[in-house]
Order: sequence, then C-alpha cells, then structure tokens
Amino acid sequence: MEQRGPDRLEGPFFEFRQCVKLLKATGKKARDLEELEALINSISPNSIYHHVYEYPLKLIELEYTNDFAHWAGETLEARRLGEALSNIDPYRFASIEDLRKELAREIGEFRKNHTLVQRVLPGEEFYFNETITLVFPAGARARNLAEFLLALKFVDASSIYYHFFEARNRVGINDFSAWLRDALGREELAKRLHEIDLLMHTVAEIRELLASLIEEELRREIEVSQ
Amino acid sequence: MILEAYANTSPKSDLRLLRLLGKKFEGRSFLHINSTRVGGGVAEILHRMIPILNDIGIKTRWEVIEGDPEFFDITKKIHNALQGKPEEITPSMWEHHFEVNRRNSEQISLEADFAFIHDPQPAPLIRFKPEGGRWAWRCHIDLSAPYEEVARRVVDYALQYDAAVFSVAKFARSLPVPEFIVLPSIDPLSEKNRELEKEEIDEIARRFDIPPGKPLILQVSRFDRFKDPVGVIKAWRMVRKYNDCMLVLAGSPATDDPEGPRVLEEVQEFASGDPDVRLLLLPAFSDREINALQRLATVVLQKSIKEGFGLTVSEAMWKGKPVIGGAVGGIPYQIIHGHNGFLVHSVEGAAFRIRQFLNSPEMTKRMGERAREHVRNNFLITRQVRDYLSIWAAVEEPGRTSIMMV
Repeated sequence: MEQRGPDRLEGPFFEFRQCVKLLKATGKKARDLEELEALINSISPNSIYHHVYEYPLKLIELEYTNDFAHWAGETLEARRLGEALSNIDPYRFASIEDLRKELAREIGEFRKNHTLVQRVLPGEEFYFNETITLVFPAGARARNLAEFLLALKFVDASSIYYHFFEARNRVGINDFSAWLRDALGREELAKRLHEIDLLMHTVAEIRELLASLIEEELRREIEVSQ
Repeated sequence: MILEAYANTSPKSDLRLLRLLGKKFEGRSFLHINSTRVGGGVAEILHRMIPILNDIGIKTRWEVIEGDPEFFDITKKIHNALQGKPEEITPSMWEHHFEVNRRNSEQISLEADFAFIHDPQPAPLIRFKPEGGRWAWRCHIDLSAPYEEVARRVVDYALQYDAAVFSVAKFARSLPVPEFIVLPSIDPLSEKNRELEKEEIDEIARRFDIPPGKPLILQVSRFDRFKDPVGVIKAWRMVRKYNDCMLVLAGSPATDDPEGPRVLEEVQEFASGDPDVRLLLLPAFSDREINALQRLATVVLQKSIKEGFGLTVSEAMWKGKPVIGGAVGGIPYQIIHGHNGFLVHSVEGAAFRIRQFLNSPEMTKRMGERAREHVRNNFLITRQVRDYLSIWAAVEEPGRTSIMMV
C-alpha cells in the first residue's frame, strides 16, 4: 500500500493530527462504462486511492462506498453495478493494483451483460482527480483514556478520518488502536476498535461509535473501583 | 489581527492550517495579477483575500495590468471563445495582446516567490517571469468546451507555468502541468454576507414593499435567459394554486448581453398584473439589499439552465436557506440533493420542491441549517486562502502526495 504520511505514532501521548486534501485534476474523464473501465486500468494509483479510500471524507449518508459506485448508480443509473462496486472492500487488497483490477473486472462483467451503451450528457462525466494530503496538528493531545475520549469528541472530522481510516493504509492498523495497545496496554479495547467495519459507517458515525466503546470501558472501570 | 475576525465563523481547522502556512511562508512574497480592480468575482475575492494573506505574515501584492480599449475588446473575445463561442482572433490581435502584456511587464515588478496570474488577460506575462519563484495560472473560466483555435493559444501560455488552477474539475482540461482544483468562496464578513440587524432587514423589506408574514420565494440573478427567470415565474404560478406566497426576482439587467434588454422586457411582460411578483432592478453594489432579501426569503431559487459556479447559491445557503437549484455548472457542488437543498431539472420540479418546503417548515429549517454548515466547511474565503497556500507548498515539493505541516 502506498505511503501517505508519517510513520506510526508512538510515545505515551496521543497527538491528534488532522488533514486536508488538496484536489488535483488529471483532466481525464469517462462518458460511459467502457471509458470508465479503460481509465481505471490506466489512471494513476493516487487517483484510484482518492476515489475509493477518500470517499468517507465526502460521505454524508451511506448509500455507496466509493466514487465509482456513486457515479454508476446515480449518474448512469446502473444500479446493479453501483451495488456491486459498493460491495468491494478496499481494505481487503494488499495493493492499489489489486484493487484497480477488481474494480475493472466488476465493470467488465457488468458490461458483458449490458451491451446497450449509455452515455452521460456533457458535464456529467466521471472526472478523475487526485489529491495531495496536508497533515497538521489538530491542537489536542491525550495522556489517558478519559482525555482521549474528550478530545475524540471535539477534534475535526478529518482527524478521525486521518487516524482511523487513512492510518490503515499507512501502517496496517488505525492509530487509535495502536496507541491504546502500545501506550496504554488496552489490548482488548484496541481490538474492538480495530474490528469496526469502516465501510459501514460515515466518519460522524465512527466518532460516535468510538466514543461509546471508550465510554463503556471507562464506566466499567469506575464501577469496579467503587 | 484580520484572521481573528473569522474565529467565530470559519472552521477552526482552516484557521489553524492557515496560521501554519503563514508561518511556513512568513516574509516571502506572493503576487496576484489580474486585469481589473473592480467588478466581477475575482476582484471581489482578491480585495478580501490580500489583507488576510498579509495578516498571516506573507508579503502579498495585487497588481492590475493596464490596457487600451482594443486590448479589452480582444480579451473579451478570448473569454467568449474559451466558453465555446466561435471568435476570430487574428495574428495582429494576438500580437497586441502580447505587446500590452510586454509593456505591463516593464511597469509592474514581477519579482515574487509565488504568483497567481488570473485568467487569460495577463497570461502572456509568463514570458517575462524573472528567474526563481513559481507561477500558477489561475483560470476562473470553464475551459471544458472551448473554441479550440483560441484555446490552443491560451493553453500554450498555460503550459509555461508551474501549475494551472481551475475552479472545478469539469472546467479543467488535460494539460501536462500539475492542475489543481480550488472551489470559489464567499466572504462571510463582506457586506453581502455579514449578519444584519433586524432593523436593517425590516427597513429593506419596507423599502421593497415586502409584507411581513407572507412566505417569500426569491431568485437573485441577472435577467438573462440562462437564469430562466420566466421559468421561475411559471413555477411560482404552479405553487400559488396551493400556497399563498410571493415571488421576488432581484438582479441587474445583463448589460454585456445584447439580448439582455429583451429578456428583461419578456420577464416584465410575463409578470405584469400580478401584485405578488416583484421584479427588483438593483443597481451594482446593492450588496446589503441582496443580503437582506436572502435573509427575508423562505426559499431561494437558482433555477439556472447554464451556470458558471453560481456562488449566489452559497450566499443564500450561508444565511440558512435551503436552495432549489438547476443541476448545472457549479450548483451540484453546493447543493447536495435532498440533504441541504434540491437539484431540479424542470419548472415542474422547481414548483414541486417549493411546495415541499412551504408545507414542511421543519424540513426547511433542518435543510437550511445543513446548508449553512456545508458552506461553513467548504465555501468560505478562509478555505480558499488555505488552498492557494497549499498549492504553493505543493509546487515547491513536486511529486509529493503528502505534506507534513508542523
């Protein structure tokens, strides 16, 4: 998987970072599925990464899981393909190249059974973009679980995205779980966080889910100590 | 501190990154060049942006090239051609375009660590760029379907820059230089968008004879066919069969469009005799009036059938109004259908959605709140400044997909 940031966070503090994405155009666009498939096969890995892994950043309601599925389902009105592309779990793949092949294969399969070529109107094409990620401190740090919970509730959504979604591609595990395990020795909680299915939640939902899991752990501890 | 003024409006994260970028480029120079100091969205936003940039420590200058009437006739033709209109630009016209830029290069100091050259008028200045520094060509025009013969010449200039910057991906075209996308923005503190006192709003309502209590449907736009003012009246008439409400169409006549006066006449005729329709012909710079009208509205329309970016949508959304917009140009970037407004494709669609809003004040309020948040997170000037400086960081470190700011 492509390196997209610094190495894994270490040390007793958890320093929250956040990110913004600077959008770049490739100038390439697809008007129909044939062009979409061809461009998926040839476009830069950065572009595939953006349209799949960065989708949660713009996700408001869970309907699709990546830009290709969204365009197929909504603009081309190829609902079946939208569903099939949404069902691809990008975290299952060891490399962007493997993911690229799977996306193209799914579109190719659909095209075999749907020979009627549907072409969108000018302005509705699929525009292939890329991004540059700017990473910067979120202005919050935590030394223990209670501070962590508090910070988690007010940091920017892009901070949750950066540590919880994007970290999986950077270091194979989300930053929160890594810190809970390595700095606080909370293996069980780290595991529970890691097991959350990223594709099934928006960033806002993930924030709530994480907070409730941590709250539950803290409450249990308080009850034990009484 | 100018940036402090945005502390209660812009997202904290944007302000934090802006300060970091300010620190990164502290004392270095950023030059903007365009062709007019007044009128138009580019000048409007530069007026607001330059003080912010200086405030965070970047030595920012804004220069305006000067030209004779012939030059501006030529650049108007170039502008139209880039938007698809076939225009003949003769070799001597191109030469004049270049020559005016050459003369300007002798008058304006082009020394800068980073420069944004806005639109085609000053594009040839790249030929006079001093050693060092990096330049980006900032194109505010939709280049997706241009008149090719003219576009090729402009692109020849663009290719000599370190980067090109477009407003949305669909306005861009494939170029062998890095191409960045920076969505336009509104300034929440400008006269057009700042918070207004209730008395100010009431006074403007009285002046325009807008009765209190009656739901108000509003479209703010030039009287031009692409904004479909007749379609708006038709939609409102359909709504009127079910809901008591009034319609205000506010804007200025399209003076640079030969069809402008005819369109206005058509609209006046179509609306005549209906006391609940108001056509407000506002003089230029009626920013406070537009601000108040948007705040008075129950539902705002931007029923365009062709549009650039359509920032009036964000202006209304910032005031907590859900907008019903045509699904064209930059409107779908602002309105997320069914979440913070509705995208429509017909008069009937517009009428249906107006009725939905009028019959569901709760939904109107909820979507309006989401509209404001969407603008806060995506369409405020602080985000645009942030993006411009991020491009500077990116062109200084080409090939990087990730930049750490600490």
